[in-house]
Amino acid sequence: MTRILVTHADEPIGRRVVKNLYHDPGVEVIYALGSGPPPRKFDAYLAGSNPRVTYTRLDLAKHRPIHDLFHSAPFRAAEIDTVVYVPRHGAGASVAAPLLGGLSERTAESRLLLQNCLETRTIRNLVAIGSAFVYRLPPGNANHLSEDSELNLDPDVMPEIRAWIDCDMIFHSEVHNDRLRVVLLRVPTVVAAGGYVYLHPSLAGRPGSRVRALGFDPICALVSDKDVARAVRAATKTPVSGIFNIAGSEAVPLSMLARWTGHTSIPLPGPLLSMVDATERALGIESRLGAGGGAHLRYGFTLDTERAAAELGFRSQYRIGLARAGDGALRLETASI
Amino acid sequence: MSEIESPQAVEEIASPLAAPGRTLGRDPFDDLADPDPFEERLDQLEARRADSPIVQHRARKVTAEPSLATKSTIRRAAAHREDDLPSRDNLTRLFGRRWSTTPPLAEIELPPAKGLIDRLLNTDERRVLTALAHLVEGDAPYDRFGYSPEAMKAAFPFFHALYRLYFRVRSEGHKRIPGEGPVVLAGNHGGLLPFDAAMAIIDVALNTDPPRLVRAVVDRWAGSLPWINIFYARVGQVVGTRENFAKLLDDGQLLLVFPEGVEGIRKTIAHRYRLQKFRVGFIEHALRARAPIVPVAFIGSDDQSPILFDIKPLARRLGVPVVPITPTFPWFGPLGLLPYPVSYRIVYGEPLRYHERFGPEAANDSRLVRYLANQVRRSVQLLIDRHHQ
Repeated sequence: MTRILVTHADEPIGRRVVKNLYHDPGVEVIYALGSGPPPRKFDAYLAGSNPRVTYTRLDLAKHRPIHDLFHSAPFRAAEIDTVVYVPRHGAGASVAAPLLGGLSERTAESRLLLQNCLETRTIRNLVAIGSAFVYRLPPGNANHLSEDSELNLDPDVMPEIRAWIDCDMIFHSEVHNDRLRVVLLRVPTVVAAGGYVYLHPSLAGRPGSRVRALGFDPICALVSDKDVARAVRAATKTPVSGIFNIAGSEAVPLSMLARWTGHTSIPLPGPLLSMVDATERALGIESRLGAGGGAHLRYGFTLDTERAAAELGFRSQYRIGLARAGDGALRLETASI
Repeated sequence: MSEIESPQAVEEIASPLAAPGRTLGRDPFDDLADPDPFEERLDQLEARRADSPIVQHRARKVTAEPSLATKSTIRRAAAHREDDLPSRDNLTRLFGRRWSTTPPLAEIELPPAKGLIDRLLNTDERRVLTALAHLVEGDAPYDRFGYSPEAMKAAFPFFHALYRLYFRVRSEGHKRIPGEGPVVLAGNHGGLLPFDAAMAIIDVALNTDPPRLVRAVVDRWAGSLPWINIFYARVGQVVGTRENFAKLLDDGQLLLVFPEGVEGIRKTIAHRYRLQKFRVGFIEHALRARAPIVPVAFIGSDDQSPILFDIKPLARRLGVPVVPITPTFPWFGPLGLLPYPVSYRIVYGEPLRYHERFGPEAANDSRLVRYLANQVRRSVQLLIDRHHQ
C-alpha cells in the first residue's frame, strides 16, 4: 500500500491527480497540500471519522512552513513514501513566477521539496510534473522531440520557461539517486474539459487576447488532464526512475488551440513582438513573450512518448476535441478513446 | 504522363560498382574511386555481424540505450509485487512498430464531389488524396508533423497543373519504390525554389498504389521563414532534425532527402548536374531504421533557374543560403526567381538495401557511412549521366 503526498492539490491538475489516486485501491493515504482552502470536490474525500485524504494549507515556496510540515508528528506518523510534485498552474498562473530570494516561486518550491524529500527517510519515490517547453525548439512548424533532445539554455528565454528549466534541472540532478526514486514527467499543454488550458506559456490563465507571431502557427502537442493523472499514477506504481515525455495523440496549431480555449490570438510581426516584449519589461510586467517574441510562438513540437509507453506502461486514453454541449454551444471536451 | 523503364535497363543502372569499367564520367568527388581495400573491410564487418553475440549486444545497446543524462534505471521496488508490473516484453509486443499506411485505390469510396477543389480534380486524383488522408490518425485535422489532408487537397490542383502543363514531367521507375515501410529517396537538388521536391510529391502520389506521401526533408532555414514554414508542414514536409528523421522512418514513411543540402541549389551553371559532396546523416538513419535507399535523378531542376554567380559574402551577411545572379534575377525583381518552363524528368533507381548487408551498429562506423554515402552519390550521378544526354 502506498502513502502519497500531492502538492498544489487545490488546483485543477492537482485535484485530478488526487481523484485518480483516491480511486486506486493500492493507495492507502493521500496527504494533499494546497495554498488555498480545500476544494469543494474534496468534501467527499475528507468526510468520515478516518478519511483517506488529509488536506493541509501550506506555502510550498517558503522554507519554514515546509520544514515544519515534514518534521511534524502527524506527517511522520503518516509515513508518506511517495511525493507527487504538481507545480502551481491554476488561477495563479498569471503570477506564476514572482521572485523569492532571487528564485522564481516554482524553482524555490521544487528545490525545497526535493531537499525535504531527501532528508525524510520514509520517502522513497518522488514524481514531479515538469513542462515540455523546456526543450530548445528547432525551426519549423512541428518537430518531434524525445527525452534526449536538447534543453533550451538560452539566457534570453522568457521567465516562465526559465523557471520550468530550473525546476527540470533540479529534479534531473537526482534522477540517479539510489535512495530516492525520481521520476520527472514532461508534459506539453494540458487541456481540461470546458476549454481550460494549463502549462502553456502564453495561453495559460483566463481567456483573453494573446499575441502570436505573424506568419507562424506552431503545432502544439496536447494532453488531457486525465491522462496526466494517469501518468502520475503509473509513475508511482512502476519501479523506474528517469525522465519521461507524456503527451496525447492530438496536436493542433496554436491559432486553433487559442480559438478552442476562448482566447483571441492576435498575429503580430516579429519586430512588433520584440517591441511589446521590451515595453513589458520596461514597465516591470512579467513578459509572456521572451526576447524576440519567444520561440514557442514560432516553432511547434510534438513529443516522443515511447519511453513512457515502454517503461511506465502509459499510453494516452483520452482524445481532445470540440463537442456540442447540452446548451448547443461548442466546447472543448476530452473523451475516452 | 510517365513511362516505366524496362527491367533490363534497371539492372544496368542498379549496380554502379558492378558495371563494366566503373567509370564515373564527370564525377567531381572521386576520392574513393577504388574501393577494393574497403570492400574487404566491409566483408569482414559483414562476417563478424553474423551470429556474433558481441555485435548483437552492441546493436541492442546502440538502438536502445539512452544518453547518460536521461537514462532511466530499472529497479525493483519492495512495495510492489513483480507480477503487478507491466512486462517490458508484453509492452513491446503491444506497442510495437506500426507503420502508417494508406489503403489501395480500389478500396477507396469517394464521397460526392462538393466545392470548387473537388471539381478541379478528377476521380483518380480525388481517390489519391482520400487515400493520403488516411495517414492522419483518426479524424484529427493534423498529424504530428502538421500535415493536413485539407491543405494538401487545396494545394494539389495548382501543383498538378505545374506538373502536367508547366514542367511537363516525365518519370520512370516508380515500381522500384517499395510499396510500404520506411524508404529514403535520395536525389540531386537544383533550382532556387524546391520545385524538384514538389514534382516528386505529385509524381509519387499519382503513380503508386497504395499512394505514398513523399515527405521531403527541408533545411532548417526554410523552417524559420514566415508562412513558408506553415505551408511546408501542411503539405507533409518536415525540417531535417535527427528526431524528425528517425520518427518518420519508424512510422514507415517515405522520405525524400537532398544530401547535397544547400550546396545543391548554390551550383552555378558551370556545375549543373554535377553532384556536390553528400551529407551522411540519411545513411545513418536508414541503417538504424532498416530502410532501403532509392536513388532519384531530377533532370531539369538545374535548368529551371541557372545561376551565373553566387554572391556568397552578401548571402552570409543576409543569413540566406544563396544570393544568385541569374539571367532574370535580380533584373526582374522577385519574379526573376520563378523557374523557367523546362521539361522535368524524374528517374527512380534500384533500391540500395544496405540495411540487409549491415546491421544498425554500422551506423556508428563513420568511415563506412561516408563510403555508403559516396555509393549513393555515384548511383544518383550515374542516373543523371544516363538520362541527361
